Amino acid sequence: MSTDAPSTPTEPDTPSSRVRERARRRGESLRSSDRRSVLRPGDGPMVILDGVSKEYTSDARGLDDVTLSIESGEFVFLVGPSGSGKSTFIRLLIKEFEPTAGSITVGGRNLQRLRRSKVPYLRRSIGCVFQDYKLLAGRTVYENVAYALQVIGENPRSTRRKVPEILALVGLSDKSDRYPNELSGGEQQRVSIARAFVNHPRLLIADEPTGNLDPETSIGIMQLLYRINRTGTTVIMATHDREMVDKMQMRVIALENGKVVRDQRQASYARADS
Amino acid sequence: MRVRFFFAEALRSIRANAAVSVAATVTVLIAVFILGAFIPSFLYVQSTVDSQKNRLDIRAYISDSATVSQVNGLKTQLDALQANGQVASYTYVSADEGLEELRGRLQDPSILDELPSNPLPAKFTVIPSDPEQSDQIVASLQDSPAIDEELGIDYGEETADKLLTVARFIQWAGLGLISILLVASILLIGNTIRLSIFARRREVEVMKLVGATNWFIRWPFVIEGIVCGLIGAALAVGLLWAVKITVVDTWIQGADSALTRDEATAIAFPLLGLMLIASGAIVGALGSGITLRRFLKV
Repeated sequence: MSTDAPSTPTEPDTPSSRVRERARRRGESLRSSDRRSVLRPGDGPMVILDGVSKEYTSDARGLDDVTLSIESGEFVFLVGPSGSGKSTFIRLLIKEFEPTAGSITVGGRNLQRLRRSKVPYLRRSIGCVFQDYKLLAGRTVYENVAYALQVIGENPRSTRRKVPEILALVGLSDKSDRYPNELSGGEQQRVSIARAFVNHPRLLIADEPTGNLDPETSIGIMQLLYRINRTGTTVIMATHDREMVDKMQMRVIALENGKVVRDQRQASYARADS
Repeated sequence: MRVRFFFAEALRSIRANAAVSVAATVTVLIAVFILGAFIPSFLYVQSTVDSQKNRLDIRAYISDSATVSQVNGLKTQLDALQANGQVASYTYVSADEGLEELRGRLQDPSILDELPSNPLPAKFTVIPSDPEQSDQIVASLQDSPAIDEELGIDYGEETADKLLTVARFIQWAGLGLISILLVASILLIGNTIRLSIFARRREVEVMKLVGATNWFIRWPFVIEGIVCGLIGAALAVGLLWAVKITVVDTWIQGADSALTRDEATAIAFPLLGLMLIASGAIVGALGSGITLRRFLKV
């Protein structure tokens, strides 16, 4: 495998390089996420949107001229009421569809120029967590997580090693033989996070991951995502869980009618001055 | 290693969707059984008609007053027709030989003894290479002075025409029916597979979101299609074999009819079976591979 993790002897001492370094010292493999990844290694901005608009029909607008940048290693909340464009934002990042205008760059890759056949490789380098978990119903917890590794051609032996590891991380070691419908919502979301993170993507996107969960369970999921962020993974989380956002005090990007109405670091759900 | 994974995935989904897999297999079974019963029947009927066609001969009756040189002239004409391939063979049948031949065909030959003299003329029996060209052969021989004016040339125009019409009809109707059956079975199988994939479209969507390539998703489906196609076709061939040895073979042995004495043949069963099983597998593979395409666009 030639796409090695970046060797950074002269890397500037940025927060993201520090977390990378920490991850490396803990012996975590940053490499596997780069396997046939289309993302370019490096510590530049993870996501850049430049004048991005998405119109579904002439009067149904998902995003309206959005320009922003998200650095590697950041934790970002995407907030706003239903229909404000959060889901459009996320679906554009995994190239589920194309923007009507503007350009999107993920991990140094311009998505417009990414060929259709490369989209699966883009998605492997981005972990995705959804409100409805999107687990494979006919497979056990273990098999759901293993599938993400089988997709990238991981050999069976390292799959057998990695899956229990990640299940231990999300606290589901004892449920690996259960099927999704035998689990609670919070447990299913943990499986979904384990699957998203098992090949250590550099970017993890979560679309309303706590939307179906009670507050207590939500905190657990939130902690998990925060821990993943601490390993150097950029996390973008769309939510309208006001309490959670206020507690975390992270960067908040607020959308309304497809426009960015606020982009603030260490912020709360609502405008500080309101 | 990949291959093993794909096979494992295919078997898992056959087991997980047992009802649909069984439905697809039974669909293949029925389609292949009908095709497998129809194809040899059609071929048998066609070859029967063909062998009847080959029995159509032309009888050119020779005038009693014809001279030897006139008869030889007719013979030269026939030689020429044989040389250019229109006539397969011809034989000269004298009046006496004709009477013997008739005697052999009659149930009660004694009535011939009452005849005062042999009423039969001498004739040439001509077997055309292609019965459809009998008209032309007759036309070219017609003007020979050796031909008896009253009897002329007899080639059973009506029988021949009827037989040839029937032969053509059977040929086209048979081909048409087989095509319709083929298309119908492909549609039927495709529909069953579409149903099975439709039931799993959410699963396909999730696979795409995790970054599976189209072929990574498609292979297990294709293998599943092949397995169902193979099993269905193999069961149908087994069923056909059972029908053949219990019903058809005993019937043919028991019937001492023109059918069994003819050189009419259908098709060797092992060859038919192999063809059917192979087409079952191909239809299964193509059916699922192509149907899946619609659901891969996520």
